[in-house]
Amino acid sequence: MAFAWKAAGITYNRYLAVAARVVRRSLKEDKRLAAERRGEMSEMRFAKWEGGKQGDHKDLETANAKALAENAGQQSQ
Amino acid sequence: MNSLRVARAAIRARPSAFRAPLQRRTYADVAPDKIQLSLALPHQAIYKSQDVVQVNFAAESGDMGVLANHVPSIEQLKPGLVEVIEEAGGSKQFFLSGGFATVQPGSVLSINAVEGYPLEDFSAEAVRNQISEAQKIAQGSGSEQDIAEAKIELEVLESLQAVLK
Repeated sequence: MAFAWKAAGITYNRYLAVAARVVRRSLKEDKRLAAERRGEMSEMRFAKWEGGKQGDHKDLETANAKALAENAGQQSQ
Repeated sequence: MNSLRVARAAIRARPSAFRAPLQRRTYADVAPDKIQLSLALPHQAIYKSQDVVQVNFAAESGDMGVLANHVPSIEQLKPGLVEVIEEAGGSKQFFLSGGFATVQPGSVLSINAVEGYPLEDFSAEAVRNQISEAQKIAQGSGSEQDIAEAKIELEVLESLQAVLK
């Protein structure tokens, strides 16, 4: 299956985040405020393990933004 | 000696006792068969291993209806409607932003999505406003990524608008 957003360097993770964001914004006022207070994926953190050592904790949102920028760079080359 | 023979006869008798109800089964007996549904979001479990009759959803490979004893499969969900037909006969509709549905062997269905809300929680006005905004960005001269994101938003919003009508 070919997805148009893949050609623009958008990852599936980013695609899901964009879709979820627009769903939250389409809610009725009270539900929307509750959903936006809960936040996006900012609470999700991960660390890469290399050679038996745990790396730094990274925020998924900032890591996503970085991956997006890198993918976009590859696309334009 | 005699008691041994009785025991052996009992062992032999048992399988046929199990088989008997199966032979009498007609298609009407299949109706009580249920599918165990778990519908989970990162922040909430809407269904937690609950027995339901049928689940309809839109997968990337096409719209599906899942009943008991469905063949195991993994489906990527489109942003769209999930309809759950419950035991009592009523049905509930949720709009999911996208995720995966896993049909496991033995009538177990797990659906994972990022956001999902009942249809009545959505505001048709908010959807309409966002569509016009997203269309402006999609047709504008922004970066390739902005346009792609606006197109993703449009896909979700148009699907949402279609089910809200």
